[in-house]
Amino acid sequence: MRRSTKIFEVVRFVLLGVVILFCIFPFYYMVTMSFKQRIDIIDPSTWIFKPTISNYIKIIFEKDIFLYFKNSLIVVVGTTIISCVLGSMAAYGFARYRFRRKEDLAFFILSLRMFPPMAAVIPFFILATFIGLLDTHLILIIVYLTFNIPFTMWIMRGFFEEIPKEIEEAAMIDGASHLKTFTKVVLPLVAPGMAATVVLCFIQSWNEFALALFLTSLKARTLPTTVTFFLAARGIVWGQLAAVSTITTLPVIVFAFLVQKNLVRGLTFGALK
Amino acid sequence: MPGRSERRYVYLFILPTFIVLLAVVIFPMVFLYYVSLTNYEVGMQWGNKIFVGAENFMRLFSGGDPEFWQSLRITLIFVVLSTGIEFIFGLGIALLFCGKNIKGKSFLLSLLIIPMAMTPVVVGLVWKLLYNSEYGLLNFLLQNLWGVKVVWLGYSMAFVSVLIVDIWEWTPFMALIIYAGFQSLPAEPYEAGLVDGATNLQTFRYITLPLLRPIILLSLLLRSIDALKFFDLPYVLTRGGPGSSTEFLSLHVYRQTFAQTGWIGRASATATILLIMVVVLSTILIRFLRRTYKVT
Repeated sequence: MRRSTKIFEVVRFVLLGVVILFCIFPFYYMVTMSFKQRIDIIDPSTWIFKPTISNYIKIIFEKDIFLYFKNSLIVVVGTTIISCVLGSMAAYGFARYRFRRKEDLAFFILSLRMFPPMAAVIPFFILATFIGLLDTHLILIIVYLTFNIPFTMWIMRGFFEEIPKEIEEAAMIDGASHLKTFTKVVLPLVAPGMAATVVLCFIQSWNEFALALFLTSLKARTLPTTVTFFLAARGIVWGQLAAVSTITTLPVIVFAFLVQKNLVRGLTFGALK
Repeated sequence: MPGRSERRYVYLFILPTFIVLLAVVIFPMVFLYYVSLTNYEVGMQWGNKIFVGAENFMRLFSGGDPEFWQSLRITLIFVVLSTGIEFIFGLGIALLFCGKNIKGKSFLLSLLIIPMAMTPVVVGLVWKLLYNSEYGLLNFLLQNLWGVKVVWLGYSMAFVSVLIVDIWEWTPFMALIIYAGFQSLPAEPYEAGLVDGATNLQTFRYITLPLLRPIILLSLLLRSIDALKFFDLPYVLTRGGPGSSTEFLSLHVYRQTFAQTGWIGRASATATILLIMVVVLSTILIRFLRRTYKVT
């Protein structure tokens, strides 16, 4: 009996190792490739090589990667701030007040989160052409609200509901107004949850590709869409591509680790805590 | 208790969001439907478009656009296969993580986040490189170990190759959700099972699975909605090709609007169908979430 459990534990250990290795290998491969020279890339058997930063230098000076990094940052920060302000207010309204058809409305808002990007692209493309918003940061900030606001609203509602109502009631008895109670008492308490929500918004906006690809071209292009530059007809420039990919991915991975505790909650819209 | 002043605050908190969502989601959806009833094309003056009624939809359903059915077919096959396989693998990985004395468990769990946190286009590119027939690592290994070479992104393999990448990217999602589900299970039924002398397999089949049912359903629904909208990976890996072997619905819309023909009206009809399918699945998800929330 004891021997069989021991074998079982060894099998578990080996399988876990394989799974983890499989998960991180492509990431590892990408990062190392970004430090490889062309000669080392075309031979897949190169595991040990002399690292070079020439790929990074090229994408910074020749491909203007900082411009796209800045674009991404503007769009992501803009959409995150707007959706967190609006979404949190709505979330508080849903968490604290009773009104008719409340749950219908809340779930209706959640369903809007599922709007497929390729269905959103067409109307936004035409409408943006009409008002001259194509290829601006603003259009992406607006479009990203479609998935960020419903998301923030749902996640934040859960965080608000975890705060005991008595604390707010005490503040109101002390003469604070509704708005003051919200900003001075409730918001500080919900800050950790808010931070997690901000990061999750950041991740999903940063990673967005389809909408950014079709609604921007030169000026407002975001980082993920620049990878298409390197899929040139004359052959793919793998080293530079890997460098751009690394720069694009790194912030998201770091952020994802930061919110690890709340990740499942975010992924399931608060259904699982 | 909800008096008139109370209601004022409800409006104050909720109305801004409601108005914004009306403008940025509902209005574009209605507009998409409106465009799908016209013959609008890229480069056409907006005023010159002709209202064609349901013609674009009729063409789809009468078989006038055989590529639509092909793309609908592979999209549905993809949804079923990817969701199913990711669920089975995810369940397996979650079970592996349930062991008691795993060193550095939380660190290992955090490594699982990498595939799904990575920017999806970047995932596509890294795999495009791994799949590359000249200097791709996969063929290098296959050739050295067994002397075979696979054309991963060729006509016969492209669908499977895209599926493999999706499985790599999203199995951790399933694993994390199911693992979190395991952690949230109550202890009492297990104690009862132990007293009654249930075997491990019986415990899993008759206690764990039924208790886990809501979480399983939740994860399946979330993944299948995402799989329906599938765009980034095939765009980078294959652009829908070779032929139309990986032209999922989103890519079909892309090809009709931006890539070749510029038939925005017709593409809008396809996009509307995609939207309707997503709405149907979301409605099921939401019905189901409402029941779960009521319990907890």
